[in-house]
Amino acid sequence: MNTSEIAEKLADFFDLSKKKRSKKHKKLLKIIAKLEDKKAGLEADLLEAGEQDESSDKYVDLSQELEVVTKLLEKARKHEKKD
Amino acid sequence: MIQRMIAPLIFLIFIWFVVSNNDAKTIIAGVAIFLIGMHYMEDGFKLFSGGALEAVLERCTSTTPKAIGTGFVATAIVQSSSLVSVIIISFLSAELIGLTQAVGVVFGSNIGTTATAWLVSAFGLKIKIAHYALPMLIFGVVMQFSRHTSYRGIGSVLIGLGFIFLGISYMKEGFETLKDGLDLAEYAMSGYLGVFVYVFFGAIATVIIQSSSATMAIIITALATGQIDYINALALAIGANVGTTVTAAIGALASNKNGKRLAVAHFIFNIITGLFAVAFIYQLKALVDFLSPLLYISSSDDAMRLSLFHTIFNVIGVLIVSPFITRLVRFLETLFREEAEERGRAKYLTNEVMEIPAAALAALRKETIHLYDKSLEAIVHAMNLHRSEIFSDESIEQVVGHARPRINIDVDEVYNREIKSLYGEIIRYASITQKYMDEEGNNEIYELKLTARSIIEMVKDVRELQKNLNYYSRRHNAVTIEEYNKLRAQLVDVLRKIQQIRENEGDEEDVLTQIEVQREIVNANEIKLNREIDALIRDNKLDSRAASSLINDIGFAHSISKKLLNSASTLWVKDAQIKGLGDQYEYE
Repeated sequence: MNTSEIAEKLADFFDLSKKKRSKKHKKLLKIIAKLEDKKAGLEADLLEAGEQDESSDKYVDLSQELEVVTKLLEKARKHEKKD
Repeated sequence: MIQRMIAPLIFLIFIWFVVSNNDAKTIIAGVAIFLIGMHYMEDGFKLFSGGALEAVLERCTSTTPKAIGTGFVATAIVQSSSLVSVIIISFLSAELIGLTQAVGVVFGSNIGTTATAWLVSAFGLKIKIAHYALPMLIFGVVMQFSRHTSYRGIGSVLIGLGFIFLGISYMKEGFETLKDGLDLAEYAMSGYLGVFVYVFFGAIATVIIQSSSATMAIIITALATGQIDYINALALAIGANVGTTVTAAIGALASNKNGKRLAVAHFIFNIITGLFAVAFIYQLKALVDFLSPLLYISSSDDAMRLSLFHTIFNVIGVLIVSPFITRLVRFLETLFREEAEERGRAKYLTNEVMEIPAAALAALRKETIHLYDKSLEAIVHAMNLHRSEIFSDESIEQVVGHARPRINIDVDEVYNREIKSLYGEIIRYASITQKYMDEEGNNEIYELKLTARSIIEMVKDVRELQKNLNYYSRRHNAVTIEEYNKLRAQLVDVLRKIQQIRENEGDEEDVLTQIEVQREIVNANEIKLNREIDALIRDNKLDSRAASSLINDIGFAHSISKKLLNSASTLWVKDAQIKGLGDQYEYE
């Protein structure tokens, strides 16, 4: 390793803003994973509720919630791409 | 006249003493430099830890043993029991920890503070410490020029350590040359008379210097240079422990009830520990003599044996008093009880909390929730409802449909009496505390200020809604009453949803999802209600006056609902990244 590489590694090590961004990015990925799990769960519940009665309040509530979670997930993915 | 002259007279005598006696000047200068060092270390840890110290003190104090352990470790590292006390008092005030945990931390802190004695006896006297002090000062000052708060903090810690080492070096030098002219060891007193006298001197010295660590540093350097007898040094150390309670008591005079209660706990602990140590001083000395070889401490190293003694009697003190913490806390809670909460005054915004960012943010959040709860009362009564009905198990239709007498509430009067001044205190506190915050903290404060403003605007909106609600309820027009009941139902639905969120404490992603689902319902409802009004107008079921009132009031209800949901998002979704996924605040 030459001196400029060492200097770069030291700069990376002491670069607090880079560390902070990386921490935020990891957190965002966790949030996306949680939302994806939630979406998968809601889709399964919606399927089950739909087989019983598509006009029931439960079905309507679940589809509303699925719509919202899908929107939140899209937004989270947009933020992730920006990072 | 005479009273006013006493302080300047004492000061002049002090100046003459310092100037006329070179050795005293060196020793006192050493103490002064040592104290400056402690001050820099404290400030340095505040900056450097970036909230880590506060996070540790908040999270690692869930049980009493953990609280004691955390108090010990935090104080030993930070080298300042007063900083740990300030943080703990602010956490107590912000209700981040309970009194039992706080007392545990204070007990642990008493053990942690003995680390200074070890620092002085193990390093300060054994090596040419001044050689290390100067490079520390140089690098510490260089780091002060950094843009990063953490590096400036590390710089302050280095400066602090440098000054502490330099102070020890001057004290040692002063005592060594003093011995040539005046041998204080000639004034050694034996027996219990000597113990009591030197305990008294130790206490007085600590009260004057306002730092038991500085007193211990003087005792250790005096002992190491043979200026005082070993037993007398042990008694001085006990006195220093007792004297520190006076320091804490003086500090607590200007404090809130939590600070005062902790000062009483500290006092009780140190008095019990002091009495125990005095009664069993010779037995403790024997214990130190037994343990020293096991810890590789030489029998001739009085300074380190004194440090061991200091740690042992504090540990024994904790072991004696900690089984009685619950009883002690029950007693403390009977003290300094405040008057019943003054209407319209803040509950959580105390000065002690202001300088500790984590605690200040928690206090502001709690106070904003307090503002929300106060405003909720006004909003609910303005709709002729009671909170017990809204949060009951009855269906919304039943809650809204009950005929009930009008609740005579003057929203303006409630706003002026209970809400406006509380809002003012939040804004003032938020503005002052911003100077102690980093960027993230400032963003959070800004959001809380906007939420507080939003809550005030809701109260003003409901005042407008109330006028027509009451007017049309008196007209007994079934169509308008039904439409107004739909507005009330929407608000009840939103309030119930928010209350569920408060009570369930689920994942913040779930909380945000619930809020956003409700937001979609509210938006869809606004469109639906407006279409219904259009249909009623077309069918001649509504006159133009009622129609215009309803359309305006749908707008007010929609605005109140959105502001309720925006407030919920700020107050109960703390993670900024999760919150940022929701809809942005919209201020009309």
